[in-house]
Amino acid sequence: MKQIKRVAIANRGEVAVRIIRACEELGIETVLLHSDPDVNSRAYRLATKKMRIGPAPTAQSYLNIQANIDAALAAGADAVHPGFGFLSENADFAERCEKNGLVFIGPSANAIRTLGDKVSFKRMAQKAGLPLIPGYEGVDQSLGTLIEEVEKIGLPVIVKAAAGGGGRGMKLIRQISEAKDLIESAQREALSAFGSSQVFLEKYLERAKHIEFQIFGDCTGHVVHLFDRECSVQRRHQKIIEEATSPSLSEALRRQMGEVACTIATLGKYKNAGTVEFLLQDGQYYLLEVNTRLQVEHPVTEEVMGVDLVKMQILTAQNQFIFNSKEIRVARGHSIECRVYAENPYQGGMPSTGLLGQVTWPEGPRRRYEYGFEEGDVITSYYDPMIAKVIVWDETRPRAIEKMIRTLKDSTVFGVNTNIPYLIQILDHEEFRSGRMTTRFIETYFAEGLKNKTSDDQIKKWAQSVNKELRRLKTSNSATGAPGAETSHPSPWGSFWRGV
Amino acid sequence: MAKFQIEIDGQDREVQAEIIDKRIWFKLNDQVYSHDLVDLNESHSKNSKSAGKSADRIVAPMPGKVTKIFVNQGQSVQKGDALLVMEAMKMEYTLKADTLAQVEKLSAQVGDQVTLGQLLIQLKIAKSEAP
Repeated sequence: MKQIKRVAIANRGEVAVRIIRACEELGIETVLLHSDPDVNSRAYRLATKKMRIGPAPTAQSYLNIQANIDAALAAGADAVHPGFGFLSENADFAERCEKNGLVFIGPSANAIRTLGDKVSFKRMAQKAGLPLIPGYEGVDQSLGTLIEEVEKIGLPVIVKAAAGGGGRGMKLIRQISEAKDLIESAQREALSAFGSSQVFLEKYLERAKHIEFQIFGDCTGHVVHLFDRECSVQRRHQKIIEEATSPSLSEALRRQMGEVACTIATLGKYKNAGTVEFLLQDGQYYLLEVNTRLQVEHPVTEEVMGVDLVKMQILTAQNQFIFNSKEIRVARGHSIECRVYAENPYQGGMPSTGLLGQVTWPEGPRRRYEYGFEEGDVITSYYDPMIAKVIVWDETRPRAIEKMIRTLKDSTVFGVNTNIPYLIQILDHEEFRSGRMTTRFIETYFAEGLKNKTSDDQIKKWAQSVNKELRRLKTSNSATGAPGAETSHPSPWGSFWRGV
Repeated sequence: MAKFQIEIDGQDREVQAEIIDKRIWFKLNDQVYSHDLVDLNESHSKNSKSAGKSADRIVAPMPGKVTKIFVNQGQSVQKGDALLVMEAMKMEYTLKADTLAQVEKLSAQVGDQVTLGQLLIQLKIAKSEAP
């Protein structure tokens, strides 16, 4: 296969930056396929070329297959990296890329269809005798049938978008009286996020842990796993904190689950990066789904394995990556990732939008930041609230937790509210520290977000003192004509060194 | 952004601060706080400053899109009834009635992109429930 020279990035935010970095290291040019508002983003500033694909709404930009392909071709790209979310698990997109002579950096359209479609994936796993959760994934999507099936499976039951991921279009039914509203709501969210309203049902496990295995098929079709991650800390089925490796697996369990992950991927003739998700409850594991793409939390695997998954993806797509069969792969130390969301943790996680002021991510040994927006960028309500990921590595899990807490305290975001205080309290929670947390952890301890907020009056008093000092500095500066001694705005050096 | 030391609660503390869009943001003791500049100089705090916080005015708690409206003009609603659904950052939020009331006016339509604090539904609170 020909060498890839220019990769079109069909994504935005931090993952677009991540892909640009990998391409740069491989000497490959990049084209950012972007919507109107995303000219205000770090990826836009870093990409070699940029092509507009449409206005802000995702249906007209990041989910528009034709617009993405046209722009990639017009920019002279020879490959497309879909990142995660958006079109990354869309088999039609992968197929259309290949038909237009664009290498799709990911699994084949067929592998996406068989493994990524949750319905066909379940049939395949069933046939191979692999453990699945009881559920319904029929084609009859009428409300009556779905409610009947909910009753048959037995409450609680979870409704999921068949084409979904990332918690969108997912609802938990605890009472049969809520079934109708929740199913309809899931269908609407599924339609808006993935372009298909098809849903399926699954028995909800009450005390389960979310464990997943990073799998990778090299260009010969040889599939290995790169160990596991635990992502039990989820809110509304959206992951918040992920770690590698899981603190919950015995060596025997890890070996068994890893084998199941490789088996299902091999059956699906999988090439490139993917993730096999499991639920683990009372020592029993159940296959959940396969995500046929790079995962948001891929950095924790990279940290403990010492690999670069995005570069492996690109090399595999140009038929140059083959696993060394003699290599012994071991996970070393412990890595944690926290997703920084633009939301107000004191208002139940209400989205927060606005113009970013100062954003600092102070460096330190084995602290890693993946971010897509900087000072001067605007966080809009059109897209996912994740504005950054903070990743740390340390020798042991307790040390990694301490390092993460310190790192988050050092980090600053002005202009939008973030969940950083929420993350710190979760990390510091006794159940999280013990490693015993389940997917109900947030619901149990942090359902309403954070409550012990500093009083408004106290914040106001502080704000008054701070404002007084700000004004004094301003007038004394303008009086002397000297540039603000410690204000970074007038100094080009401040912005020059930021993020280095 | 400015960085300085000031005395707060009797102690010298390092503070970072910045004014963005009429709001003051500052970091103190490893925590970020923010406050509206406008009502910062009022002598006493008025907690019910936001007109949106009354039960008869259903306002957008965030910028986003109205994706579903469950009620019609003139309809009466119970406490806890779902009124409409908004979507922002790809998540759905359902706004519910806080009290027994009648829908006086629908001020938004499905598909509308609305701003923070925008009036969506005006309710008329039932007599017995009125304060």
